Amino acid sequence: MKKTFRGGVHPEGHKELSRDCALKAFDPKGEMVFPLSMHIGKPAKPVVQKGDEVKVGQMLAEADGFVSAHVFSSCSGKVKAVEDRRVLTGQQAPCIVIENDSSFTPADGFGDERDVDALSGADIVKAVKDAGIVGLGGAGFPTHVKLSPKAPESIKYVIANGAECEPYLSCNDQLMRTKAGEIVSGLKQMLRLFPNAVGVIAIEKNKPEAILAMQAACEGAEKIQVWPLNTKYPQGGERSLIQAIAGVDFPASKLPADFGCLVENVGTIYAIWRALRYGEPLFTHTLTLTGDAVKNPGNYIVRDGTLFSELLEQSGGIKEGVTLKKAFCGGPMMGIALSSLNVPIQKQNNGLTLLTFDEVEEAEKITTPCLRCGRCTTVCPQGLMPEMLAEAAESKNYKRYEKKLYGLECIQCGSCAYICPAKRPLTQIFKHAKAEILALKRAEAGGKK
Amino acid sequence: MNGILNLSSSPHARDKWSTAFIMKCVLAALLPVTLVGIISYGWNALLVVVLAVVSAVLSEFLFDKLTHRTDTWKDYSAAVTGLLLALTLSPLVPWYIPILGSVFAILIAKCCFGGIGRNFINPALAGRCFLMVSFSSQMTIFPVDSVSGATPIANLALGRAVDITRMFMTGESGVIGSSVLAILIGGMILWAFDFIHGQICFSVLGSFTVILALFGGQGFDAGFLLAHLCGGGVVLGAFFMASDYVTSPVSRLGQFVYGVLIGTLGALFRIMGGSADSFSYSVIIGNLFTPLIDTYIVQKPFAYRRSALRAQNGDTRPWYKCPGTLAKVYLYEKGYKRIPGAVKTLMLIMLVTGLALTGAYYLTKAPIERQQEETRRLAFREVLPDAVSFVEKSEYDKAISDKAGAPWDKEFGASYVNEALVGVNEQGETVGYVIGVSSKDGYKGDAIRFTVGLLSDGTVKRISFTELNQTPGLGMQADEEPFKGQFSDKNVDRFVLNKSGSSTSDEQIDTITNASTTSSAVVNAVNAALDFYREVIKEGAANE
Repeated sequence: MKKTFRGGVHPEGHKELSRDCALKAFDPKGEMVFPLSMHIGKPAKPVVQKGDEVKVGQMLAEADGFVSAHVFSSCSGKVKAVEDRRVLTGQQAPCIVIENDSSFTPADGFGDERDVDALSGADIVKAVKDAGIVGLGGAGFPTHVKLSPKAPESIKYVIANGAECEPYLSCNDQLMRTKAGEIVSGLKQMLRLFPNAVGVIAIEKNKPEAILAMQAACEGAEKIQVWPLNTKYPQGGERSLIQAIAGVDFPASKLPADFGCLVENVGTIYAIWRALRYGEPLFTHTLTLTGDAVKNPGNYIVRDGTLFSELLEQSGGIKEGVTLKKAFCGGPMMGIALSSLNVPIQKQNNGLTLLTFDEVEEAEKITTPCLRCGRCTTVCPQGLMPEMLAEAAESKNYKRYEKKLYGLECIQCGSCAYICPAKRPLTQIFKHAKAEILALKRAEAGGKK
Repeated sequence: MNGILNLSSSPHARDKWSTAFIMKCVLAALLPVTLVGIISYGWNALLVVVLAVVSAVLSEFLFDKLTHRTDTWKDYSAAVTGLLLALTLSPLVPWYIPILGSVFAILIAKCCFGGIGRNFINPALAGRCFLMVSFSSQMTIFPVDSVSGATPIANLALGRAVDITRMFMTGESGVIGSSVLAILIGGMILWAFDFIHGQICFSVLGSFTVILALFGGQGFDAGFLLAHLCGGGVVLGAFFMASDYVTSPVSRLGQFVYGVLIGTLGALFRIMGGSADSFSYSVIIGNLFTPLIDTYIVQKPFAYRRSALRAQNGDTRPWYKCPGTLAKVYLYEKGYKRIPGAVKTLMLIMLVTGLALTGAYYLTKAPIERQQEETRRLAFREVLPDAVSFVEKSEYDKAISDKAGAPWDKEFGASYVNEALVGVNEQGETVGYVIGVSSKDGYKGDAIRFTVGLLSDGTVKRISFTELNQTPGLGMQADEEPFKGQFSDKNVDRFVLNKSGSSTSDEQIDTITNASTTSSAVVNAVNAALDFYREVIKEGAANE
């Protein structure tokens, strides 16, 4: 039983800030903003108009095509506008804005317990699709697409990702501690889709309580096991998990399903269970509010569309006497930096980290040219050579970048930029290079037409 | 709260290690060897270290200011360069040597090529080589071995015994950073904490040892190998020079190739070369190969390596259970590409050329030897015209080899007897002897070599020079008749150099005007030949 993947880094965890804070439901009071694109794929199409009365769990927008997901209201109230609002990437994107009446009146059609075992495989996928479930680990890939691989019988591992390797975040830890039974039930239902698969619950060893809770919940379930993993970033990355559990490395052009693996975040599995058991669509999820600037760090069950600023204010706000310097949605390794907190929480968000310091700003002061120390090559979980990639990217030698150095295999986990003693923004260079290469390819393809 | 917050691309966290931190740790790792050096050699050593470090940092500071660059002098890398340079210097060098070396290292070798991270050779070594070339005499004054003034490596080259324990503990090579133990302590700590790459240090040391053992002529003799490893800065070079990040390759295999290259070159220079500090040059040559190694040796990502390709097809055998030669499979497993065609062609050309050269050598070996023998015979005939053939005699050879490369007798300075043969006429009767002598007492210590012909009764027949590298017009007159003719047809116990006026007796030899050094060296060497005649030849004849 392998414990980990090759490479990786050990950033400071800071999980002690919030790891023992029990999950609390958070009900916002102000207006709610629902971006139409809270997933990978095409944005959803609005099905409500300005002035419509909506209830909790009512569909606001429906999936446009197969790789897309429904959007549901998480509050009751009146649709104020369907307009462009700033979302967390900093861009203006189409959103549905609802005036919250704070009563949270539920819509009809969910809440009653169902006999889940009576559902067929197709019913399960349909229920997941109808609930608008996307991957809650951060990427937001529509789950029903993942659950419909070409050859379901070739799937050998269904991996419940409870690694939570990002520093600061602890909401999955709390979810596994308190909802272990539901997660295992959800995993059992997923295994019904894949006759040859075993369920693996992968948890980093820095969460002993969660491991114990999950082990207790797995008691008697033959095809499910808890797999403790070494604490190392990016242990919770899809490829890292598959490398550790199935022992396969595969190129970026392939999907996990091609090698018999399917990885879902434990939060997603919990949502799947809620959708199957209660018919409940996805409009709440767990989120960690943490960081040294926060007065009351904690783990919350938040409603989609809540503004980050409201969550912060209602939960106690910033500590007295400190200045907020940096905020990011998610953890420090792959999170998105926020210029303003007046943006809505999306389905796939799992953390809000607020810090009084900015390590990147500090690092920029002591940046030196590359020392060629090779630390980035040592830590790259994909086995790439980041210093050479950066050199190729900076000299715009994209042919060497892509063909000789396999630059497009980069998963942008940030390990190289984290470890670099010269403090070079390696991951940023690779993101830029990837965008540029893809743009060039599109231009080339367009030119041929 | 409503102000705009800092933005950045992920990751938003950074490791604590910075360039300055790494350099500080390297400085700390060099502390033991520096301290041992200062304790062993006293204030002189401290002065050299301080001058080198201060002038290195200062030159980088001035360069930064004059060129309006960011303050790179603060990152301690200049201090590391200065300290490394100081450790390779003798504590007795004049004060300007460490300053000039540091300035050259920082300004020319580092800053002119773009500063930290851009230099193509190790600045400290560049500084040292600059000093060796420009100030060779000042650089080779060592505070060791007052008798011969030679460093252990020089002694090793002459086949003399050296004290390995002392070399290991405090070092005897005469430079400040010569304590192998202290270097090993610092280097091993750096390696254990991942500051330097083990595949470089250990492949350098390993290949150096293996090549010395294979071609050093003394096999796997532990004393011989350890003495070579402990001397001449090999360990310092392996742990602190070759492992320099900037000038070493990035991939693991590349680092291994680079290390083996340096170790092999270092050992070959030791065996074949004349310079005792050849290790600096092998590291620099390794540095120069780094860009080439980095271009060709690139590792593939995990997903494209052979084991991954097998695993993708459901085969999870470990690599050592797969078919193919071990080395080949290992390289494929680690994701390295095949050897490029150009390299294969080059290797083939080298192989063919090497074979051709070897063949030519063997074909011409016998004629060349005959030719050399003939030349030698002619020289012998010149000094002993009556003889037609010359035979070796084991007693003479034994007497010569008993000296084991040492001067014949201290009385005659650095005069050496190299060979002695008996001249025989057509009837097989002994007509005289030829004695090959040489002297290192000439001007600048260059070798003087000549043959002395003696008649059976000890009369000098003639002398003839085979090698003479003295000052033209002065010392070179030794090969002219007015000087060398003075020895001819004289039967004396000992010649004496006459420095005033013309000689009055057979013993006296007039000196060459303004070349008394050469003259005295020649006279001493002739006297050594006469001494050999009396001590060995005459004694032998009497005993028969």
